[in-house]
Amino acid sequence: MSELIATLKVQIIEQLNLQHLKPEDIGDDQPLFVEGLGLDSIDALELIVLLQQQYGIKLANPQDGPTVFKTVRTIADYITAHKK
Amino acid sequence: MSNQKENKTVFKAPFGGLGAGLFINGIGCISPQRTFDNSEFLAEVKEYNTNRLTCVDADYTKFFDAGSIRRMGRLMKYGTAAGMIALRDAGLEVPGAISTGTALGLPEVSQKFLKSLIEVDETIVSPTTFIQSTHNTVSSNIALLCKCFSHNNTFSHKGFSFESALTDAQLLVLENMNNILVGAYDEVSDYKYAAMKKTKELRGEPCNNLDIYGEKGNGVIAGEGAAFFVLAKEKTENTYGSFVGNKTFYKPESTEEIRNHILSFLKENNSSLEDIDVVITGISGAKETDATRIDLNKNLFTTQTIIAYKHLCGEYMTSSAFAFWLASKMMKSQQIPDSVILENRNRSPKNILLYNSHKHNHSLMLFKAC
Repeated sequence: MSELIATLKVQIIEQLNLQHLKPEDIGDDQPLFVEGLGLDSIDALELIVLLQQQYGIKLANPQDGPTVFKTVRTIADYITAHKK
Repeated sequence: MSNQKENKTVFKAPFGGLGAGLFINGIGCISPQRTFDNSEFLAEVKEYNTNRLTCVDADYTKFFDAGSIRRMGRLMKYGTAAGMIALRDAGLEVPGAISTGTALGLPEVSQKFLKSLIEVDETIVSPTTFIQSTHNTVSSNIALLCKCFSHNNTFSHKGFSFESALTDAQLLVLENMNNILVGAYDEVSDYKYAAMKKTKELRGEPCNNLDIYGEKGNGVIAGEGAAFFVLAKEKTENTYGSFVGNKTFYKPESTEEIRNHILSFLKENNSSLEDIDVVITGISGAKETDATRIDLNKNLFTTQTIIAYKHLCGEYMTSSAFAFWLASKMMKSQQIPDSVILENRNRSPKNILLYNSHKHNHSLMLFKAC
């Protein structure tokens, strides 16, 4: 799990072009949206693209987005549960 | 309704041209030279030893928050910033309308988007590159930043793109709008550069941008840039001068035809060749097309100071916007930098004629200092 979380942080920085951040700047349980990293709705779409391109996982129900993309750990949990 | 009609007929072009002559009340330019700071005027000219000139970036954190910057492509950043510089220079928060010209839109981002579309077999692609892949992205971004919900047009007509935006602004003013933000932007993407190399338009390397008009070498240097202007009916303390009018013509058959276009354009704008102090020529370093310009410089513009600009910004389809910036700076400062002079006849830059061409697209613009 910790390896997946570390990889995800690198991928998130690259996908969202967060050049001012290093992987260690993002906490495992830090909120990604609004008060946390300050991500917005376009970033949510970018994270959906990331899941599909890197892990072959489609977010079946968009309403799950806020729960799945809450923190890096919740994304990692979702990937672990849905990876074929 | 009757009031509107009355207003339309009341307004007259400052110098009686066919279109609406307009005051240039704010400027913003980001180019391969250090032009983003309006307090400077080509104090130091940047020398390149390459046939590809790219923009000198401004500090974009002064214009956008970190969240926005990370999503922007290169042209998106310098194009939008140039527009914001012009607005700030004019002391204007919201323009009356926005009209822009771009020949190629945002090719770097568009190509990235298309490439990823192929890579993922047309399934799911990044929304950011998609959003930035349209030609009107820059003008839309400026509108969002300054909350301008009025007329917003982007013209994409190769070498007539900026000229079309200017005509649009003139027409808008005749329709009683004011403070129009007009601009143009283009970039030299890897693909465009490769295409220019393939068609042998480019000057061979090594080459020096400050030495492209002489006998040595043949071909243009690729360039890019963004320049914006606030055009208004009223003069302000910040006014640079007046944009009197423009004219475009396509594929002239002879130098004589170009000469006739120039003379009739001046006449249409109640001016004559004798009134012109400075001619900005679009000489580019390509011997074949420069031959006509050199002929005109020798035989028509015999008493005017002749200046060139494509060694500073390179050749691109909306480079006339850089020349517009140059004319504005010269009118306000009443100075002509040594670095642009081809032929000095010691004339003050009061009345300026621009004659530019990109391939078959030829354009003329007339400016008058206030």
